[in-house]
Amino acid sequence: MDKNNDSIFTRWITGILRNRKAITGVAIIFIFIFLAVLGPFITEDPTAFLGTPLSPPSWEHWLGTNGQGQDVLSQTISGARQTLLVGFTTGIMVVLIGALIGGISGYYGGRIDDFLSLLINVFLVMPGLPLMVILASWLPPGPATLTGVLVLTGWAWNARVIRSQMMTFRSRDFVSAAIVSGERNIRIIIVEIMPRMLSLLASSFIGASIYAIGAQVGLEFLGLGDVSTVTWGTNLYWASNDMALLTGSWWAFVPTGLSIAIVSFALTMINFGIDEVTNPRLIAERVWRENIPMDTVVNGITPVVRDHE
Amino acid sequence: MILKESPYLILISLFILVGCEHKNELNKRDGLTIYQEAQISWIRNFNPLSPAGSARWPTSAGIYEPLFIYNSMSGEYVPWLALDYTWDKGNKILEMLIRDGVKWSDGEPFSAEDVAFTFNLKRKHRALDIRDSWGYLEKVAAVSDTIVRFEFKRIYVPGFDALATQSIVAKHIWNKIADPVKYSNPNPVGTGPFTEIIRFDSQLWELGKNPNYWQKGKPHINKLIFPTFPSNEQVTLALLSGNLDWAGAFIPAVDRVFVSKDPEHHKYWFPLTGHTTFLHTNTKDPILSDVRVRKAISYAIDRELVVKVGMYNYTEPAHVSGVSGPMSKWHSPYLDQREDWTVYDPVKANMLLNDARFIKDEEGWRYTQEGLPLELDIIIVSGWSDWIRSAQVVSQNLKNVGIKAKVKTYDFGAWISRMQKGEFELAIGWAEKGTTPYALYRGMMSSEYLKPIGEITDVNWHRFSVAAADSLFRKYEKTSNQKEITGIIYELQQLFIEHAPSLPLFAEPAWAECNTKFFTNFPSAENPYATLSPNYFPENLFVLVNVQNR
Amino acid sequence: MNQSLHYLLRRLGFYFIAAWAALTLNFFIPRLMPGDPAAIIFARFRGKLKPEAINALRETFGLTDEPLLGQYWSYLKSILQGDLGISIAYFPEPVTNIISSALLWTIFLAGLSLIISFSIGTLLGTIIAWNRSGRLDSTLPPVLAFIGAFPYFWLAMVALYIFGFELSWFPLGHAYGNNVTPGFNLSFILSALHHAALPALTMIIVSLGGWMLSMRNIMITTLGTDYISFAHAKGLSSRLIMIRYAARNAILPNFTGFGMALGFVLSGALLTEIIFSYPGQGYLLLQAVRAQDFPLMQGLFMTITFAVLAANWLVDIAILFFDPRTRK
Repeated sequence: MDKNNDSIFTRWITGILRNRKAITGVAIIFIFIFLAVLGPFITEDPTAFLGTPLSPPSWEHWLGTNGQGQDVLSQTISGARQTLLVGFTTGIMVVLIGALIGGISGYYGGRIDDFLSLLINVFLVMPGLPLMVILASWLPPGPATLTGVLVLTGWAWNARVIRSQMMTFRSRDFVSAAIVSGERNIRIIIVEIMPRMLSLLASSFIGASIYAIGAQVGLEFLGLGDVSTVTWGTNLYWASNDMALLTGSWWAFVPTGLSIAIVSFALTMINFGIDEVTNPRLIAERVWRENIPMDTVVNGITPVVRDHE
Repeated sequence: MILKESPYLILISLFILVGCEHKNELNKRDGLTIYQEAQISWIRNFNPLSPAGSARWPTSAGIYEPLFIYNSMSGEYVPWLALDYTWDKGNKILEMLIRDGVKWSDGEPFSAEDVAFTFNLKRKHRALDIRDSWGYLEKVAAVSDTIVRFEFKRIYVPGFDALATQSIVAKHIWNKIADPVKYSNPNPVGTGPFTEIIRFDSQLWELGKNPNYWQKGKPHINKLIFPTFPSNEQVTLALLSGNLDWAGAFIPAVDRVFVSKDPEHHKYWFPLTGHTTFLHTNTKDPILSDVRVRKAISYAIDRELVVKVGMYNYTEPAHVSGVSGPMSKWHSPYLDQREDWTVYDPVKANMLLNDARFIKDEEGWRYTQEGLPLELDIIIVSGWSDWIRSAQVVSQNLKNVGIKAKVKTYDFGAWISRMQKGEFELAIGWAEKGTTPYALYRGMMSSEYLKPIGEITDVNWHRFSVAAADSLFRKYEKTSNQKEITGIIYELQQLFIEHAPSLPLFAEPAWAECNTKFFTNFPSAENPYATLSPNYFPENLFVLVNVQNR
Repeated sequence: MNQSLHYLLRRLGFYFIAAWAALTLNFFIPRLMPGDPAAIIFARFRGKLKPEAINALRETFGLTDEPLLGQYWSYLKSILQGDLGISIAYFPEPVTNIISSALLWTIFLAGLSLIISFSIGTLLGTIIAWNRSGRLDSTLPPVLAFIGAFPYFWLAMVALYIFGFELSWFPLGHAYGNNVTPGFNLSFILSALHHAALPALTMIIVSLGGWMLSMRNIMITTLGTDYISFAHAKGLSSRLIMIRYAARNAILPNFTGFGMALGFVLSGALLTEIIFSYPGQGYLLLQAVRAQDFPLMQGLFMTITFAVLAANWLVDIAILFFDPRTRK
C-alpha cells in the first residue's frame, strides 16, 4: 500500500515539475516571496517622508514618489510582505477547514453529512462582500482580522468541492477493500484518499490564495484594513486618495497593481499546470454535476477525479 | 455582407449620437450644480426639523430660513427673518422683531405666529427639540404679528444661538401634520430662495427658485442641481471636468489637481474658520491624566510638519488658546505671559516626561515606574486620509521622545462610539464650535458634560473638568454685556492654557471650491462676503442668494 | 416524476432552512457588534446636542431595551408580513422604498454584465475547446487570465481615467445623463446604455476569463467521453457534435455557477458603484453598515439572500429539466 502512495505522490510531483506553466508560475511566486522576505534589508524605510510628493521616476527614486513623498519602489516591495502572508495563510486555512469539514462530510455520509452539508450550503449562500464589510469595519483593523474575515467567507466553496470528491472516492473499490480488511477510517482517509486528492487540494489552496489576495486588496482599498501599515492594498488606497491618476502620476498606481496581477496570474498558471498534469481519464458524473463553481472567476480549477490504479 | 454588419453599424452610430449628446451636456448651464452630501441615491426628505438630520441639503438654510445668520467672516449676526432682538434687564425675556412682508412659497403671509408655532411644535414633540431649547425656555408666544417673546426658565444668554438659527416652518401647513417626527415633507413650503422641487430621481434632483421670495430680484439663478457623488474621487473628477460648479470637498494638492486644469475658472478658498482640530487626550487615562505628560506630548509635535504633510499646507498650526483666524479677536492680551505649549520643543518635551518619572531605556523608549512601556494609540476615522496622515506624523514625532505611538483606523461608527464612550487614548477630532469661544471651553472643561467612561456623551470626549471654569460658565450665561463676556473668555483661556485638557493641533479650514465659468459672484478672499463652503449652515444662504449667472 | 418532485421539495426545504439561518445571522451579527446607531446619528449633529438627547433619539428609532430574543421574534414576524421597517440612516424613509430605488439599476447593470460575460465566455470556451491546436487556445486563456488577475477596481479606475477623463469617450459616472428624464423615451434609454457601457465593459472583461476557462475545461473532458467518439464514428458533422452534444452537456455545471452568480447580482457590485457613481445595492449596504442602520441592513441582506436562494432553486429546476440523468 505504501509503495503505491509513494508512487502516486512522486508521480504527481514530477509531473508538475515537468509542466512549463506550473514551473513558470512557481518561479514567479518564489521571486516575489524572496523580495518580500528580503524587503526590509534592501529598501529604505517605506514610511519615511522623503521626497516631493508625486514626483516621477528618477535616479533617486526608481519608481518615483507617492502622494506623501514616500518612495514607491520601497512601498511596492514592502507591501508584498503582508499581502502575501495573509493571502497564503488564508489559502492554507481554507483548505484545511475545507478538507476537514468536506472530507468528514463526504466520507461518513448520513446524518453527519446532512448536518455539515447544511452548514456548508448556508455559508455558500451568504453574500460574501457585505459580510466582509460588516466584519472588517467593526473588528480592530489588521492582518488577523483580514485573515479571519476572508477565511470565514471563503471556506465553504472548497469544502463543497472536496466533499464531492470524497464521496466519489468513498464509493470506490479500493476504499471498500480497505474497510473490509479492517483499516480504521482515519487511516483510510489520510493514507489512501488524501494522496489521491493532491491535485484538488493544491488547486484549492491556489484558488483560495488568489481569492484572498484579491479580496484583501479590495477591502484595504475601501479603507477597511490597517491604513498605517504598508501593504499592496493600502498603497492603492493612498494612491487613490491622493488622486494619483487624476494628476497623471501613474507611477504611484501602476507598480502595485501590476505586482498583484503578476502574482495572481502566476498562481493561475500553476493551476493550469496542475490541471494539465491530472488529465482525467474518468469523471464521475455526480462529481462534475454537483461541483458548482460559485465565483464568477474560476481560475482554471477543474474538480476531477484521478484514477491511477 | 452589409446586412450582416448592419447591427454593428447601428450600434456604432448610436454611440456616436449619444456621445455628441453627452458633449452637449457640458455646454448647457441652466442651474448651479452643487456637491455637499455624499450619497449614492437620493431619498426625498425635506423636513428641517428631522431628528435624524436626514433632510436634503439645503433644506434647513435654502428652502427654509432662520431668524439670524452668523457670518463667520464678519463675526456678526446678520438679520434675516428677524430684524432685531433685545434682552430685558434680567436677561430672562428675549424679544425678536420679525421681518414684515415675507411670504411663504405658496403665497401665504409669514408672521411671528409661524416663529412661535415652530418652537411650540418642538415642545409638543420633544424628539424634534434636538438642541434642547426647552431645557431653558419657559414660554414662546407671538405678542403681535411682528414680535415674538421668548421667556426663559433660567438665565441662559448663550441660548440665543439655537433660537436665532432655528429654521422656521409654516404654521398653516404643519399644524395639519399628525407626526412631524416621522414626516418626510416631500413637497416643502418655505420662505427660502429655492423651494420648488422641479425634479426628483434617485440619481439627480433639482431645486427651483421661490416665486415669492422676500428679497426682490434674488436669487439670481434659476435652479440648483444635485447629482449624486458617493466618493471624493468622483467629486474631484466632476470638478476637474467642469461638471460641478460649487463643492465643499477636501482635495489633495488642489493647485496641481484642480486649478491647473482651468486656471482662469477653477477657484478654491480654504479660509480658517477660527475653530481648531484637536489631538484629544483622554484625561481619565492613567498616563494622560498628568498635565505634564499632555503638555510634553504637545511640545513634541512638529505642527508645521503635520500641516505640511497631513494637510498639504492648507492650514496653519493651532493657537494655544484653541481659537485662531477670524476668532483671534478673542485672544487675551495677557497671553504672552503664559506658557505656549504648542511650539515645537522636543527638549522641553523630554524634560517634562523626565519630570513625570517616565524613564528612558537604552533604545530611547520610555517606561512607567512599574516598568510598563509608554504606549499610546491614536485612533482616526478610516476614510479621512488627511487626518490619518497627520496622525502618522504625530506618531513619528512622539516616537522621537520615546513614546510608542501607533495609529489605528476605524470606520466612522466604530470610531465615534469609542470617542463617545471615552474608550480611547489619543485621537484626532473636532471640538465644540460657537460664535464665541464659550462653546469650545464649555466642551473642554465643564463638569456639566462630564460623563464617566462607558457612558455616551457627544461633548467632552476627553473627560475633563475644573471647578473654576464651572463658575465662569455660570457667569457667562447670565450676562449679555460685551465687556463682561470678553473678560470671562480671557479667564477661561488662562484656565485652558494652564490645564491643557486637550491639545489643539491645527486650525480648521473651510473646504470650498467653485467654477466661475458659468457663474460669478462667489465669495472669495478678495470678496469675503461670507464663507465659500456649502458645509456651514446657515451661512450658505449668503452664497445661494448672491451667486449670479455670467 | 415522483422522484423529481421529491427532490425539488427536498431542495425547497433546504432553502427555507438556509434562508432562516441567513436571516438569523443577519439579525444577530450587527447587534453583537459594539456601537449604537443612535450614537452615530447623535454624532451627525457635531456636538450641538445635549447628552440626554440620545435617549430621545433611541426612542424615535425604536431602539428598545427589549431583550434580544423578543426583538428577534418581532423581526421574524415583520419579515413574514413584508414589513421591512423604517431606515435609521435615512429616517423616516421605509426600507422598501430605499431598496427599490437602487434595485433596478443593480439588476440592470450587474445582470446585463453577467449575462453578456457568461454568453461570450461560454461561446469562446466552446470554440477553443473544439479547436485545441488553434492559435486562440494558446493565447486567449493566458491573456484573459492576466486581465482578470488585476484587482477589479484598479482596472475600473484606469479605464475610467483613460476612456472617460482623458478621451471623453464615456461619461464619468452615474446611470444616465443630467439632461434626460427617466422614462420610456429613446434619449433616456440611449443615455442609460452609454453610461452603463464603461462599468459593464470593465465587469465583463474581468470575469470573461473565468467563464471561458471553466467551459473549456469541461468541454475538453466531455469531448474525451465515449459517446462523443461514437458520434464521430457514426459520421455526424463536427459542428453538430460540438453544439448539440458536447456543448449542451458541458454547459450544465457552468449553468449552475451562472445561477448562483445571478443571485449574487443583487449584492451589488460595490466597487463598480463607488468608482462609477452608479446607484446600486452594494454602496447602499456599505452606508447601512457604516451607520449601523439595522433595518436597512436587514432588508438588503434579505433581498440578496432570497435572490440567491431563488436563483439556486430555479437552476435546480432547470437542471432537472435539461439533464435527464437527474430524473432517474
